[in-house]
Amino acid sequence: MAEPILSVESVSKAFGGLMAVCDVSFQMRPGEIVGLIGPNGAGKTTLFNVISGYYAPTRGRILFHGKDVSGDPPYALAARGVGRTFQVVKPFAGLSVMENVVIAAFLRHPRRADAEAHAREVLELTGLADRADVPAASLTLAGRKRLEISKALALEPSFLLLDEVVAGLNPTEVDRTIELILALRERGMTILIVEHIMRVIMKISDRLVVLNFGEKIAEGAPAEVASNRAVIEAYLGEARA
Amino acid sequence: MKDRRLLASFVVLLALACVPAVLRDTFLLRVATEAIMWVGLAVAFDVLAGYTGYLNFGHGAFFGIGAYTTAILMVRAGWPFVPAAAAGGVVAAVAAVIAGLPTLRLRGAYFAIATWALSRGIQQLALMMPATGGPDGMRLPPFLHPQFFYYAMLGVVGATFLLLWFLLERAPFGLKLKAIREDEQGAKALGLNPTLLKIQAFVLSAVPTGVIGGVFAYWVTFIDPASTLGDLVSDQALVMVVFGGMGTLIGPVVGAILIFAFKTIFWAYLAEYEVLYVIILGAAIALSVVFLPNGVLGARLRRGAPRPLPVPVTPAAAGAGKLEA
Repeated sequence: MAEPILSVESVSKAFGGLMAVCDVSFQMRPGEIVGLIGPNGAGKTTLFNVISGYYAPTRGRILFHGKDVSGDPPYALAARGVGRTFQVVKPFAGLSVMENVVIAAFLRHPRRADAEAHAREVLELTGLADRADVPAASLTLAGRKRLEISKALALEPSFLLLDEVVAGLNPTEVDRTIELILALRERGMTILIVEHIMRVIMKISDRLVVLNFGEKIAEGAPAEVASNRAVIEAYLGEARA
Repeated sequence: MKDRRLLASFVVLLALACVPAVLRDTFLLRVATEAIMWVGLAVAFDVLAGYTGYLNFGHGAFFGIGAYTTAILMVRAGWPFVPAAAAGGVVAAVAAVIAGLPTLRLRGAYFAIATWALSRGIQQLALMMPATGGPDGMRLPPFLHPQFFYYAMLGVVGATFLLLWFLLERAPFGLKLKAIREDEQGAKALGLNPTLLKIQAFVLSAVPTGVIGGVFAYWVTFIDPASTLGDLVSDQALVMVVFGGMGTLIGPVVGAILIFAFKTIFWAYLAEYEVLYVIILGAAIALSVVFLPNGVLGARLRRGAPRPLPVPVTPAAAGAGKLEA
């Protein structure tokens, strides 16, 4: 088994008295797509924010390529190869699509011309190339979600966190995004994805990690997890005899 | 396109360099010198206000710090003018780092209030310190040479403009600042360190302001806490930047020239209607904010260009996420 690219070790995150994430552990191997699922309020986005450096874990450690990065700020993690998107998309609304992506591309390409060339490649890949010069604020929701992915990709990450990049899209757009995610995996990227649409998550994930009330209640192949009793109860409530 | 603008800037600078040869009238040369000074103060203010999204009501404090540093070094330490004015810029930079570390954590009105309070504190300090002469102010060795001060001001402001043009419009730095302005949290995920970038912007705004303050002190030969450390510099710079167009380099230049020209003409010909000046200026600002939110220049540039659609960015996305759950 290859060395894990990411190890989440007994991570907890408390906000005052509220345990948003409680003692969660899992690992990811290079090239894997892991789906992080769970009902609303299960702590998925909090865990994302801990892994990407927005919150320091209250307890536990995050190892990235074997190095402890717990509490490192997001920009330091970005430099190490962690890219992320936001569930609530964060376009730089007053700037053009191109400028949005160029800002991310500066991380690996300090010269403006190089950054622009790289940004254009990313926009070709994500299908936004023809919208490069429009203001980011004028994109549709689908466009803005693609812009989120484009910005994360322009960082040239080895590890990508995707937070609900499919939710709110129509079926055609969903299929295009799935194709894009699978294409990224082909390029050797490791991807942790939060998604509510089961059709999507079952189709693209190699493994699933299930959270409920901040705790990990299951982990395994999609089919296994789907028939897991604890998972069914978490989603549908307890079975009444 | 952008290089043509740079060429145009050089032509304008060259033309401005010829002004004293044509303009024999000392009064008009003083007016031109002060106009250039306000252009510099407004452009430097816009580094934080327009590009980074921080309204710095302590801008005037950097001006005063530069003026006092220059005055103290020249009068009490016997320094020549040039190193003394440069030291004004250095001290302003140090002050920007010290003031920026706590205040740049704040946003919006809180930052404006904190910087305003800091500048009041510095004014009080100047009123009490023996080195500054307290409320009596300081008298600098008189050097009555209007042409010299015209060129000194033009040199400092011209160099500032070109430096800012390069850093903000050509180098990655300007785009990075705009990313902070648009969404600081989102910018962090893209490898940007907001604290570092904001401190750099603060210093970049403070240094030319301090040097301009130093030139001003030697030029007017007398400074006191009321004239150099009051609210005037911050307020005027804000008005000029908003009126001209925030977040551009040309906007503040246009705003500074229009507002300063209006002020000068008013004082020269309608001095007895002093009260009217502030009323008219206030009304003009209020109208420009309502009808030209992007400033005089923004209105001209935006004509014909597609307006960004007022899409509710975050609620839509958040709502979409919930629907699927």
